[in-house]
Amino acid sequence: MGIWIQISAGSDKPIYAQIMEQVSQTIAKGILKAGDKLPAVRKLAAELVVNPNTVANAYRLLEKEGLLTTKTGSGTFVGDPKLRSKDISQLNALAERMDTLIGQGVNLGFSGDVLMKMFKDRLGKFTKKS
Amino acid sequence: MADVILKTSGLTKYYGSKLAVDHLDLKIEAGSICGFVGRNGAGKTTVIKLLLGLLKPTAGSASIFGCDSQNLTPDIRQRVGYVAEGHRLIRWMTIARLEKFQRAFFPGQWDREFFAEMIDYFELSKKQKVKHLSSGQRAQVSLALTLVPHPELLIMDDPTLGLDAAIRRQFLEGMIRLIMEQGRTVLFSSHILADVERVADRLIVIDKGVLRADCTTEQFRDSVKKVRFSFDKTPPEEIDIDGYLNSRRSEKELELTLVKTTEQKIADWAQKTGAEKFDIVQTSLEDQFIDYTAPQKRSRLFQWEKD
Repeated sequence: MGIWIQISAGSDKPIYAQIMEQVSQTIAKGILKAGDKLPAVRKLAAELVVNPNTVANAYRLLEKEGLLTTKTGSGTFVGDPKLRSKDISQLNALAERMDTLIGQGVNLGFSGDVLMKMFKDRLGKFTKKS
Repeated sequence: MADVILKTSGLTKYYGSKLAVDHLDLKIEAGSICGFVGRNGAGKTTVIKLLLGLLKPTAGSASIFGCDSQNLTPDIRQRVGYVAEGHRLIRWMTIARLEKFQRAFFPGQWDREFFAEMIDYFELSKKQKVKHLSSGQRAQVSLALTLVPHPELLIMDDPTLGLDAAIRRQFLEGMIRLIMEQGRTVLFSSHILADVERVADRLIVIDKGVLRADCTTEQFRDSVKKVRFSFDKTPPEEIDIDGYLNSRRSEKELELTLVKTTEQKIADWAQKTGAEKFDIVQTSLEDQFIDYTAPQKRSRLFQWEKD
């Protein structure tokens, strides 16, 4: 299964962060599964027209999070879900981003029930495959 | 550590009494793509010309492959590709004639097949005369002429100036391909920060002839931050926080541009001044550059100051 990464240079989000976000989304949605191979750094860099160091950096940070593993000589693969780190700073970062979204929802006048249903529906898209 | 390809020490240039480059210390290692940015008149072209020995420094020195820029040998020159600002080519020549002319400077190094391939790729014909080419086509020809001898170091002065988006992308692709061939080093100046963000792994910022930043593109992205503090009263007059560059204020909000600070320091300052909350706002490289080069206070970002 191939993955499609689309980056936009000149946006608020640094390019390495865009790559990280899209790769982890692809994994979260189950499009890429444990053991699947990722495109080689140089291949992806040429495709996206970005510096190979930027791609390597994104992969390295994802590896630190336990999402990817690198086998010397054979490439980068999706890691075993059991080995993924869930440290407290990541949870905090997630909570902060949720706050922003919840704040927007509340400001638009949606009730807690509506927002909760929306959350569950969206969550379903990610969890039914695993 | 990789080899140092390009180095300047205390490089200084006056035009008459006007200071154009002020004690520049730079060191560029093999394999990096350096985006060289600065506002108009910041001294980028002067630095490039000093590096290539096309200008004489008032003080200090520059060197390429360990050879002083003022005494570059033909051997060293052959390892360097230079794309001058504006892609000036001899107007009355055809592309074929230009190739012949350029080839003479690179005996035994000219890859005819590669040149033909590139001309073909750009959908040009060798019979075309320079004076009949568009500015984009001239840029393509000048890139082909520069890349064909497979230079180890490529120096380009604002190569994408005035080019359309598609040709700019071709240029960037060419740059990426070049560093994929091992050991290639690129220094290019540009005003298009989105292009720089794409291809440069290193960012060199100069302003009024002074080096203001020399770090990885990602370090720069992480270092220059906008922070919005909210207060339930008038924000404080005095801004005594580390790395403060400039500010904007409204009745109950204060937005600071900070450089090289930590979240802890921001939180401490928020507490000290009684701010209700603060948000760190991510901005584009272009916004960061504008904030960074138009500050009320001056600060510098360096990677190499430690060694």
